[in-house]
Amino acid sequence: MSKLMFKRLRILLIIMVCFFVVLGARLAYLQVYQHEYYMFRAEENRLTKMPIPASRGKVFDQQEKELISNRPGFGIFLVELEEDYDRETLKFLSEQLELDTEEIKRKIHENRYTRYRPVHLKNVDYETMAKIAEHQWKLQGVNIEVQPLRHYPFNEVGAHIMGFLSKAPPSDSSKEQWKNDGYDYRQGDLIGQGGLEKAWESTLRGEDGEQLIETNVLGQAINYLDRREPVPGDNLYLTLDIEMQRIAMESLENQIKKLQNDGNRYAQRGTAVVIDTQTGGILALASYPSYDPNTVKEDYKDLQKDPRHPMVNFALSGTYPIGSSYKMVTGAAALETGSISERTVYNCAGTYSAVGDTRSCLGVHGNLNIYRALAVSCNIFFYRAGLQTGIDNLAYYTREMGLGKQTGLQDITGEVSGVVASREYKEERHGERWYQAETMSAAIGQTFHRFTPLQLAVYTSIIANAGKHYRPFLVEKVETHEGEIIKEVEPEIVNHADFSQRTFRIIQEGMRQATAPERFAGREFRDFPIEIAGKTGTAQVARRGSGIPPHGVFVSYAPYDDPEIAVAVLLEHGESGASGSSPVAREIKDYYFREELGDNSGD
Amino acid sequence: MINTRLLKNFDFLLLFLTLALAVYGLVMIYSATHVMGLADPFFYVKRQAMWLGAGMGGIILVSLIDYQNFSNWARYIYLIGLAMLGAVLILGEGTEVQRWIHLGFIDIQPSEYAKLVLIIILARVLSEREKHLGENFFAFLPTLLFTAVPMILVFMQPDLGTAMVFIVILFGLLYVAGVNWKYIMGIIGVGAAFAPFAWAQLAVYQQMRLLSFLNPELDPMQSGYQLMQSKTAIGSGGVIGKGLFDGTQVSLQYIPEQHTDFIFSVLGEELGIIGSAGLLLLFFLLIYRILWIGTQSKDTFGSLICCGVAIMIAFHVLVNVGMTMGIMPITGLPLPFISYGGNSLLVNFLAVGLVINVGIRRQKIQF
Repeated sequence: MSKLMFKRLRILLIIMVCFFVVLGARLAYLQVYQHEYYMFRAEENRLTKMPIPASRGKVFDQQEKELISNRPGFGIFLVELEEDYDRETLKFLSEQLELDTEEIKRKIHENRYTRYRPVHLKNVDYETMAKIAEHQWKLQGVNIEVQPLRHYPFNEVGAHIMGFLSKAPPSDSSKEQWKNDGYDYRQGDLIGQGGLEKAWESTLRGEDGEQLIETNVLGQAINYLDRREPVPGDNLYLTLDIEMQRIAMESLENQIKKLQNDGNRYAQRGTAVVIDTQTGGILALASYPSYDPNTVKEDYKDLQKDPRHPMVNFALSGTYPIGSSYKMVTGAAALETGSISERTVYNCAGTYSAVGDTRSCLGVHGNLNIYRALAVSCNIFFYRAGLQTGIDNLAYYTREMGLGKQTGLQDITGEVSGVVASREYKEERHGERWYQAETMSAAIGQTFHRFTPLQLAVYTSIIANAGKHYRPFLVEKVETHEGEIIKEVEPEIVNHADFSQRTFRIIQEGMRQATAPERFAGREFRDFPIEIAGKTGTAQVARRGSGIPPHGVFVSYAPYDDPEIAVAVLLEHGESGASGSSPVAREIKDYYFREELGDNSGD
Repeated sequence: MINTRLLKNFDFLLLFLTLALAVYGLVMIYSATHVMGLADPFFYVKRQAMWLGAGMGGIILVSLIDYQNFSNWARYIYLIGLAMLGAVLILGEGTEVQRWIHLGFIDIQPSEYAKLVLIIILARVLSEREKHLGENFFAFLPTLLFTAVPMILVFMQPDLGTAMVFIVILFGLLYVAGVNWKYIMGIIGVGAAFAPFAWAQLAVYQQMRLLSFLNPELDPMQSGYQLMQSKTAIGSGGVIGKGLFDGTQVSLQYIPEQHTDFIFSVLGEELGIIGSAGLLLLFFLLIYRILWIGTQSKDTFGSLICCGVAIMIAFHVLVNVGMTMGIMPITGLPLPFISYGGNSLLVNFLAVGLVINVGIRRQKIQF
């Protein structure tokens, strides 16, 4: 070998040594210096957390009847998917599940990076499940799993209170609130929509468990490691009496059908609210028409198209003029401000002129005091009392009676505040000043007054228990799945209405007389052995002669001398409170006082 | 005939190093493939062992023939090599990547053998003109042509990695053979001027691989992803590794091509820096020994054969190991003796056989 060659060979060797040193240095950098980082990355590769859904809490009524439960549904899953799928299986599933093969393929494709996770195709009923199970031996990778299915045994009855579950994404504020409650929302989670399901989401949903899985590069599960069991959600016990709720719904439906059969095509909706006057507990909160939470997913489009808006809870979200049912406010405000007294007598001659306006009454009532004025619902008495009291006082006392402001219900969302007719409202809303003539209209419940049926029930309850405004509530007890009580609700007085006891006694007596058996309004309760107090209202919603019937309102409480329940019924375009709405109140009271009434009231 | 005279000079150390590497490879191939869920977990190991047997036979066969015969046969060997490369292109017409000749029970990859063929022809041409290489610019020019023809054929497959191996062997041998370094620099300068043209000839995926090497974020789901998984495997191995057959990246198959191109990552993960640096040391000893034999050769042809083999193996190691650690582009060059792949293993054994042959016949006069 020549000297030059030998020299160059040595240089070649040195270059190679340098390369090996570089490789060695890089090795040391990766395997020693950056070891921790790559170790973390390798673990992250290897381990995946799969959530195990917790079973959702149940809901019971005051008789501990299950209002929301979980019953076995059957989920059809595809598992252990390889790159290719079996055509026969795909075809069979597509037929049985009524899914497009393309749709199934798409679901498989979406899951390609998380193959440890079975692909959920559809939830099916028992029959379909049985058919698939029968053929399972020749199907590839098809799994049938029992999955808790949210079940609402009373269907339409109380649907607005219960709500339902769906995968619709929640608002950011909800997400934030849940996060504070310890629930971290993930896209695709089934969450409560409306009613208790929504408002009590973080209580009902429980805590999902977690399965640590070792997965390979295809996302297939290789090993099952640590497992944290899910904690089932807490159960809710309601003040609601589902039987009363059912009676209220059926009764509303019957009344509406009856009106429709008599040619009233406007009668479409009605609400009934029953409150325990001694606690504020809601016994019934009915809004007709309703929907079935069990099938809401399938019915959703139709429900959205229905002009009656069956998914809206009108007992909380609907605001209505209430007509003469308002007159207790005017009477109480006039008494409280000294504008009238128990002994004040006005004359009703059928018409009345004041402040540049002439108004008429429905009858010629002659001389009457406050009791008789309420009993016969004389407009003229209340025009005069209202003028004496003034709109500002009326507005103040309206709110004191729980009207035109939120009642304080927190257990479900959707409550609106309504409108109290006032100088401020008119100026703000219409930019016009208040006319005194309008005070007369406001005094008999007209002009801008708009109240919710729930407010009507609270208002009645405030009169019944002489000023105590209890916070209306639905949930009276929360228990863990193991039966441990974690919350018990005490009745809460949110306001003492600013009236004297004497004023309440006068108003109560007026209402008693209004529903006395000989009165028109008391007709429905003629044979009712328990004394009640109530007031009808017939609220004009369109000009006379337009052919659009007025709303029918009936508020009442019973028993008169020791009140237990307040009932507010409102039938949209129900023609009158006495004929349209009071039969619903009667059926509710028949049920509530069934023991006192003995066998003759029962079925 | 074989006699003790020849056996005395047989380099058992080189044979031992070669076998040690090949056995190391078999173990790692088992580790990388038994997790693939095959019916026979030894499928790949058995096939590779078969080729190893063939390689041993090859070493003996090559040792029997005086290597100087290869110098005489160089042109025929070269023509056969070109014919095989041409056959690949013709037989594989229409497919995207043409690399193999399928012979039913066996697949032949001519580009692997072409490396050795090129070493032989270049050693022949350069040793013939050794005297003139220092001062005559035209003396070495034929070697450029001898290299260019197979390179273009390989390029058309397309196999960028092997084409690069050819260039490195060419320049390595030109340098060692004593070509004036100014001439070499001149050739490199001209080549660099043609680089943009060559870039345009690359397939898109090859361009992507090079770009991805320069900037891994460019294509994170493909090449960058492969690289990240490979680095994760090696880095997570640490000093002593996760234990043979206990690598999670390996057993869960996160490493791409883990029994072929990326087998070094398997080794790094399971055996740590001890196993991987140990492997590099084995390679270095092997290369050193080959170069040493080269210095002992009785003629320039033998020296250049040894240098060519050493350069070929060293370059493969550098590019392959560098690739798994993210300091070299992803080219698909196998790790000699270790990566699964029979043709590569056989060629490396034949190359070692040639070197041993040079070693056996190093003394001109034997007593």
